[in-house]
Amino acid sequence: MLKKRILIAKPGLDGHDRGAKIVARALRNAGMEVIYTGLHQTPKHIVNTAIDEDVDAIGLSVLSGAHKTVFAKVTSLLKEKGVEDLLVFGGGTIPKKDWNLLKAMGVGEIFTPGTDTQSIIDYLNNAIGK
Amino acid sequence: MTNLFNKTALDELGENKKTWQDKFDKSKKMENKSYQTLSGIPVKPLYTPADLPDMDVLQDLGFPGQAPFVRGVHPTMYRGRTWTMRQLAGYGPPEETNKRYKLLLDEGATGINGIFDYPTLRGYDSTDPVAQADCGRGGVAIDTLEDMRILFDGIPVEKVSSSLVTCQPICNITVQSMYFANAKNRGVDLNHLTGTSQNDFLMETCMATAPGVLPPFASFKLSCDAIEFCAKYAARWNPISFAGYNYRETGCRADQEIAFVIANAIACIDEMLSRGLDLDSFAPRLSFFLNGHNDFFEEIAKYRAARRIWCNIMQNRFKTKNPRSQTFRFHVQTAGVALTAQQPLNNIARAAYHALAAVMGGAQSVHIDGYDEGLCIPTELSAITALRSNQILQLETRVTQTIDPLGGSYFIESLTNQLEEKILNIIAEIDQLGGIVKATETGWIHNQVADASYEYQQAVDRGEIPVVGVNCHTMEDEVLPIELFKVPETLDIQAQKLARIKKERNKDEVQKAIADIARGCEKNENLMEIIIDAVQSFITEGEITDVLKSNYGVWDPPLF
Repeated sequence: MLKKRILIAKPGLDGHDRGAKIVARALRNAGMEVIYTGLHQTPKHIVNTAIDEDVDAIGLSVLSGAHKTVFAKVTSLLKEKGVEDLLVFGGGTIPKKDWNLLKAMGVGEIFTPGTDTQSIIDYLNNAIGK
Repeated sequence: MTNLFNKTALDELGENKKTWQDKFDKSKKMENKSYQTLSGIPVKPLYTPADLPDMDVLQDLGFPGQAPFVRGVHPTMYRGRTWTMRQLAGYGPPEETNKRYKLLLDEGATGINGIFDYPTLRGYDSTDPVAQADCGRGGVAIDTLEDMRILFDGIPVEKVSSSLVTCQPICNITVQSMYFANAKNRGVDLNHLTGTSQNDFLMETCMATAPGVLPPFASFKLSCDAIEFCAKYAARWNPISFAGYNYRETGCRADQEIAFVIANAIACIDEMLSRGLDLDSFAPRLSFFLNGHNDFFEEIAKYRAARRIWCNIMQNRFKTKNPRSQTFRFHVQTAGVALTAQQPLNNIARAAYHALAAVMGGAQSVHIDGYDEGLCIPTELSAITALRSNQILQLETRVTQTIDPLGGSYFIESLTNQLEEKILNIIAEIDQLGGIVKATETGWIHNQVADASYEYQQAVDRGEIPVVGVNCHTMEDEVLPIELFKVPETLDIQAQKLARIKKERNKDEVQKAIADIARGCEKNENLMEIIIDAVQSFITEGEITDVLKSNYGVWDPPLF
C-alpha cells in the first residue's frame, strides 16, 4: 500500500505552531509522509503545494481566529482547480459553533486543543482511500 | 563556611530516618510508579537536611538583595513593592485597544502590557496580501506612527510603564522606535520612559518557524541595536526581555527555558562588549520573561536557580562587581499552553496556582492568563477576572508578608540545586556549539524544542501527565459556559488609514527614510538610531521590513 501523503500547513502569520509541529511529527511516526510548510502560507500557496506534492490530505492549523476566512479560501481554491479527491481537515482554537459552517465548506474534521494525536492518525487512516 | 548541619547531627538524623523509611517502604497504599518533576528530576517522598549536607547558607543563598540573590533581587521584596500586575492586552485597531488599556488602568492594573497582531509582529502592513486574514488578531494592529499615537492617546506615557510585546526584532526595531518617536513628539524625554520591549531573536528564527524570515545574525543584530540605543538614550527602558515564556509555550522544559534565555543573554553581552559598551551601562537593563507552568515546586526552584546562575555568570564570566548587573529580574506570565479549551472555567484555578508559584519565586511582575485563552482572545470579563485573581493573590492571601517563604525548605533547596546543575549543563553545551546564534543557525535549538514538545504531548496522550477535562474527568456534551470574544473589524479601518496616510505624507521624506535605512544596513550602523527618525515620515512597518529583508536576505529555518 502506498504511504499516505499529508500536507500540514499554517496559513497566515499567527505563530502558534506547537500543535502543527506535533501533529506533523506524530503522523510521520505513524508511517505517513508529511510535508510541513511552516508559517506565513497563503491559501494559494497551500493549494499549489498540495497539488504539486500530490498529497491525500491537507491539515490546516489555525489559532488566530481567522479560520472562517482561511478554510473558505482553501476549499474554494481547490474547487476552482477541479481537485475533488483531497481531504481537508483542521485544528486549532476553532469554536464548536463554527464547525458546521466549516464542514459545509467541505472540511472533513476539526481537531481542537486537547485532542490526542492518535485520534488524528485514526481519522486519517479511516478517511483516506475509502 | 556557614554550614548549618554538623556530621554527628546528620548521622543521627540518618539513623532515625531509617525507621520512617522502613514504614514507608512497607506500606501497600502506594502506587508503583516513578515520581519526577516535569523536567525529569526524580522526586523523593521526603527531604531532610541529609539532602543538603553541604549547603552554605551565606554563599549559596545569601540575603535578599545580596549575591547570589537566590532569596530575591531586592532587600525588601514585596514588603517594599509588590509585583507589578501587568495584564496583556491588545486586539483590533489601536482605537479599540486604547479603550482596553484605559479600562485596565482604571481597574487597578499597574502597567501596560501591549501585544501586537500577527502582521505587526512579523513586520507586515495590515493590507499586505499575506497579512489581511490576521489583521487585528492576537493583538493590536500598528502600521505607522499615527497608529502608535492613537494607541497611547490619553495615557501618560511618562508615568505608566509600558511593556511592548514586540516579540520579533523585525517588529521591535520599528514598533519600539515608533513608541519612542511618539513620546518625543509629546515632549517626553526618552530617559524618563519606563518599560520593556521583548525583542528576542529566537522568537523570529526559532520559536514560531516560518520560511523567509531574517537570518539569525541579522535578527540578532537588530535586537542588539535596541540594547545599544537604550544604553545611550533611554536609560530606564529594558530593551530586551528574553522570552523564555514563549520557548516554554513552544515546548521546552523548565531547564531548557532558563538555559536558553541565559545563553541568549550571554550572546547579547558579548556583542555589546564587542561594540565597545561598558558592561554596567546595559547589563542592569537586560530582563527576562518566564513561564509559570504546572509543576508548582519545580517552577519555584526554577526562578530561584535562575537568579543564582545569572549572578554567578555575571560575577565570574563577565567580572562585574555592580550588583545591579548581577540581578536576574523577570516577568512571569502563566502558561497558556497549560490551559484547556475544555471546561474553561477550570483555567481560573490553574492560572492561580501558576501565579502563586511565580510569587513564591520572587517575580517582579505577573500576568495571569484569561480563562478563555484556549478558545479566543480574552473577553473583558475574562481579562478583569484575571486581574482580580492577581489582586486576590496580592491582597488576600498574605503571601507578601515574608520574603522567599520557601527558602530553606529541604525540598525546594534540593530542587533548586538540581535544576541549576541541569541548566548549567545545557549552557555549557550551547557554549561548545559556538553560542546561541550558531546553535540556532544549525537547527540545534529547533530540534531540542521539537523533541521536548513531542515527548510532553506523548506523555499527555498516554495519560502519564493528567490534564483535567482532557485526558481525565472529561465531560460529554459540555456546554460552553462562557461568551467568546469577537475581534472588532480591523482591516477596513487600517486600510483606510493607510490609504489616507500614504496620500498625505511627503513622498520625498519617505524616500529619504528608505535610503537612510538601507545605508544603515550597508554600513552596519545602529538601525534604531536611524529608524526612530525615519518613522516620522509615516513610512510603514512593511516598507521598513522590505528594506531590511532586501539588505539582509531571508532564511528558512528547519521546520520540524
